[in-house]
Amino acid sequence: MKNYLDIFKNGLWNENPIFKLIIGLCPTLAVTNTVVNGFAMGMATGFVLISSEIVISLIKKWIPNDVRIPSFILIIVTFVTFTDYFLGAFFPDIADALALFIPLIVVNCLILGRQEAFASQNPTRKAIFDAVGMTVGFTWVLVALSAIRELFGFGTLAGVEIFGAGYTDMIIMILPGGAFLTLGVLVGFLNFLDRKVGSDNG
Amino acid sequence: MAEKNNSIAKLVITLTIIGAFGALFLAGVYEWTIPHILEHEARAREQAIMEVLPDLDYYEEVTHNDKIFYEGYDENDNLVGVAVSLKGGGYAGEIEIMIGTDPQEGKILNIYVLNHQETPGLGARITEEQFREDFKDAPFSELEIVQRTPEEPYEIEAIAGATMSVEAVKNIVSDVGDIVTEHYGGGN
Repeated sequence: MKNYLDIFKNGLWNENPIFKLIIGLCPTLAVTNTVVNGFAMGMATGFVLISSEIVISLIKKWIPNDVRIPSFILIIVTFVTFTDYFLGAFFPDIADALALFIPLIVVNCLILGRQEAFASQNPTRKAIFDAVGMTVGFTWVLVALSAIRELFGFGTLAGVEIFGAGYTDMIIMILPGGAFLTLGVLVGFLNFLDRKVGSDNG
Repeated sequence: MAEKNNSIAKLVITLTIIGAFGALFLAGVYEWTIPHILEHEARAREQAIMEVLPDLDYYEEVTHNDKIFYEGYDENDNLVGVAVSLKGGGYAGEIEIMIGTDPQEGKILNIYVLNHQETPGLGARITEEQFREDFKDAPFSELEIVQRTPEEPYEIEAIAGATMSVEAVKNIVSDVGDIVTEHYGGGN
């Protein structure tokens, strides 16, 4: 069981997709201007990641090595299209806010990367832990990033007024520039924290 | 050689099977979700028509030259206005606007942005009441963007940092006069 827990924790910190592996940055930069958007993107990506890791770890034996990448992509596309329709039908506001970035989950290298690195080489049970760990790891960084951007950009957190009506919005934080600035500072800070904790333990 | 053919066949078969299963699954998903998606679209359109045609009781869809017009009527079946949805290129993608007009008076009643991908906090302010207000009672003619409080009915106040979005909306709305008068030519 410890083994499974380690796989899960891996995604949260040690191999966190965003600030350790630095993958899946397109949605990370694009949609994290409000907490709601960041969280929704984390969940949508997580759903695709978990479903495709399960399917791929189940059928990996029958996939010939030469067509493994196209097969993975086909499976991922299926789940992404499902997500696109599902959000459009039941969460139209979120679908409008994320718009083009839902179909773009297909090319999020976090998803293909985990199939190649993990699901195609491990049993399904382990793949589920890996996928859930990566999802939580991806989502918490997205939410942290969007919280900072929304707070300075709109003066709100998840739509709740924090700085009061007198606050002048920092438009740069909502624009792509703000995404790069915040991500750079956040990744630097988390890695600093990681090194500090690591050296204290060692 | 035979072995190679065999392996190519295997690759093709694998991809075909995965693709077929995916397509089958998605066909089911489509059947399940499409009524909901269409319903949301219809509701958004209806809300937009309500917004741009004041004193509306009911509306009818009429098609002229493949273009859909929404004719709004009050309780006494008098035509209160004609709404039409127009599209054009914005700063970050297509902007779709529902425009309510009064063809008899030759003026715009109100506008409502149906879809856009403009920058949040800047271009996205085209959806705000304060900006839309300037289009109320604007005449059927080329509108003009000004950097101060509008004084004439055809003047639209610019939004700081959103020049292209405002320009796009102005261009889309400026076309409505010709399109509406072509089929509902009343007075000027």
